[in-house]
Amino acid sequence: MLKFLLKGILRDKSRSILPIIIISIGVALTVLLSGYMKGMMGDVTDQNARFDTGHAKVMTRAYAENIDQLPNDLALLEVGSLIETLEKDFPQMDWVKRTRFGGLIDVPDAEGNSRGQGPAAGLAINLLNKNSGEAERMNITTSIVTGELPDEQGEALLGHDFAEKLELKIGDEVTYFGTTMNGSMSLQSFKISGTIRYGMAAMDKGAMVIDISDAQQMLDMEDGTGEVLGFLKSKVYDNEKALEVADAFNAKYANDPDEFAPVMKTLKQQNNLADLLDYADVMSGLFVFMFIAAMSVVLWNTGLLAGLRRYKEFGIRLALGEAKGTIYRALIMEAVLIGIIGSIVGTVIGLGLAYYMQVYGIDISSYMENSSMLMPSVVRAKITPELFYIGFIPGLAAMVLGTMLSGLGIYKRETASLFKELEV
Amino acid sequence: MSIISLKNIVKRFPMGEGEFTALSDINLEFKKGEFAGFVGPSGSGKTTLLNIIGSLDSPTEGTATVMGKNISKLSHKESAMLRNLHIGFIFQVFNLLPVYTVYENVEFALLLQNIPEAKRKTMVMEALEWVGLTKLAQKKPDKLSGGEGQRVAIARAIVKRPQILLADEPTANLDAENAHIILKIMKRLNQELDTTFLFSTHDEKVMKYLDRIVHLRDGKVEEDELQLEAGSKK
Repeated sequence: MLKFLLKGILRDKSRSILPIIIISIGVALTVLLSGYMKGMMGDVTDQNARFDTGHAKVMTRAYAENIDQLPNDLALLEVGSLIETLEKDFPQMDWVKRTRFGGLIDVPDAEGNSRGQGPAAGLAINLLNKNSGEAERMNITTSIVTGELPDEQGEALLGHDFAEKLELKIGDEVTYFGTTMNGSMSLQSFKISGTIRYGMAAMDKGAMVIDISDAQQMLDMEDGTGEVLGFLKSKVYDNEKALEVADAFNAKYANDPDEFAPVMKTLKQQNNLADLLDYADVMSGLFVFMFIAAMSVVLWNTGLLAGLRRYKEFGIRLALGEAKGTIYRALIMEAVLIGIIGSIVGTVIGLGLAYYMQVYGIDISSYMENSSMLMPSVVRAKITPELFYIGFIPGLAAMVLGTMLSGLGIYKRETASLFKELEV
Repeated sequence: MSIISLKNIVKRFPMGEGEFTALSDINLEFKKGEFAGFVGPSGSGKTTLLNIIGSLDSPTEGTATVMGKNISKLSHKESAMLRNLHIGFIFQVFNLLPVYTVYENVEFALLLQNIPEAKRKTMVMEALEWVGLTKLAQKKPDKLSGGEGQRVAIARAIVKRPQILLADEPTANLDAENAHIILKIMKRLNQELDTTFLFSTHDEKVMKYLDRIVHLRDGKVEEDELQLEAGSKK
C-alpha cells in the first residue's frame, strides 16, 4: 500500500511538487534565518568576549560599579598574585590583564610643536609576550593595515583612520596626554609600529593599542590593571561553566567589606548581554513557532485544496471499502513523506545559503559608522549542528498539522451521498 | 437462500422542517447469481436502494440484511469491511484514479485486502482478461475510450470476486455498441462467477439483459418482473 501511495505522490505533481516547494522554501528560510541569528548572536557574544567582557571578568567592586567611566583609579592591584590564584583555582580558564584608558594623542612637528591632536581610546594588553595569545584573541594580527605588531616597549598601534587623520606614518612619534591612576598628569611618547582596523566602529574610533607593561608605567599602576579577563580554554562561551567559576570566586570574597575587593562577572552579567542573549533566544523560538503557525495555515489551505481536488478519489476509496480512518492515516503518511522530502530539500538549500553567508556575509559597515555597540561590520551566518535538523520541526509539523486539519473533512463525508457525488 | 433480504424498508430524508420519504415499505429478496435491476424514473428511489444494499446508507425503518449482516447494526468500519470483501461498485462515470495505470486501478481493490503481490498479479491479469484489456494494462485512464474505461471499472469491481455487484446507470455515458459490449461482459461474469448483479437504470438496452426487473415509483415497488429469456431479446 505504501508503494502504491508513493507512486501516487510522485505522479501527481500538484500533490507532491507544490507542497514540497512550499515546505522547501519555508524550511530553507528557517535554516537560513536560524543560521543568521546564530551567526550574528554568536559573533556579538564572541566579539564582546574577546574585546571587552571576556568569558568572565575580575574587577574591584568599585570599578565594576563605575565601569562606564573607565575608572583606573579603582583598578586592581597586586594582580600578579591574583592571577596566580586564579590560574590555580580555575585552570579551565586563561587569565589575562587588560587596561582601558582615555587621553589625548599629540603629534609633534620637526620642531617639537603640536601639528595635530586627537582623542584616544586606549587599550593595553599583553602584546610583547607572544605566548599570551592576546594578539590573536583581539584579531590584531589580522587587523593590521600597515606596519607590524610592537616588539618592544614604547611602541604602539594606532587606528588606521585615526593615523590617517593625524597624517602619521610608521615610525613617527606621538605623545600621550592623560592621567595616572592617582590623578596626576601622565605624559608618554610612543613610536607608531603599525596601524590597525578592526572593522568595528566602536573599536576603531581613536584606537590606540599598547603593551600592558607600558600602560602600568604610564598610568602609574605598578602590578595593577583595570581588569583581569578569563577565557574558557574551549574558546566558546559556556554560561554554566562561567557562572560556576564566578560563583566560586565571589563566594571567597562574600564577607569582605572592602570596596576594592575583587568581584567576578560572567559575560552575560555584563553590558546587559543577558537581556540581549535571552531576547535573541526568545526571538529564535518565536520565529520558529510563528513559522510553524504560518506554514500550517498555508499547508492547511494547500491540503484543503488538494482534498477538494481529491474529493472524488476519497469517494471511490470509501466505496471500494477503505475505512475513513485508513484513508486519514494514509493521508498523514503522505504528509509525513512529503514533509520529510521537503525538509531535506529545504535544509540543503538553507544550509547552502547559510554557508554562503558564513563565508561572504553581509557588509553592514555603512550602518555601523556611529555605533558604539560591539558587533562585527560584516554579519555572517554560522552553520551549527542544530541547523541540520531544525528545519524538520516546522517542515514536518506544519505539513502534518495542515493535513490533519484538512483531512478531518474525510470523517464528515456522508457515504450515503457517494453514488450521487461520484456520478458528477 | 437469499443473499439480500429487504424487509419493510422505509427511508426518509429530512427536508426543510419536514421529511421526504424516498423508500416506503420495500420487501425484496435476491438470490445468489441474480442479474436484476431497479427501474424507474428519477426520484423513484433506485439509488437510495442501492445505497442501502451497498451499506453506504441504512434504512430509517425495516431490516436490510446483506450477506447475513444487518446493515443498520454495522459500524462504519464493519460497513467498509463488507464493501471491501463482498460488494463491488460500478458507476455511471467510471471513476478511475487518473494517476494510476489500468493495472494499478484494478489492483487497488486487492491492496485493501492485503493480498500478496504474486496472487494480486494473477487476479488482476485474470480480471483484465475477462474484460479484454490485458494489452492496455499499463495505460493511464486518460488514454482510454469511454467503453474501455468502463471495462476497467468492471475489472476493478470484479477482481476481488465480490458476491454482489452494484451498478448505477453503467451505460449512461456509453454509445449503443459499447453499452452492449459492457452488458455482455457483465452477463458472462454473472454466469461464470455466479456474482449477483443489481443495476439501477432506465436504459432500455440494460433492461433487455436483466433476468429480473423491479419497477419502482415514488419509493414503492410497482412491479417485480421476471424475464426468463433475458439477453436473447437484444
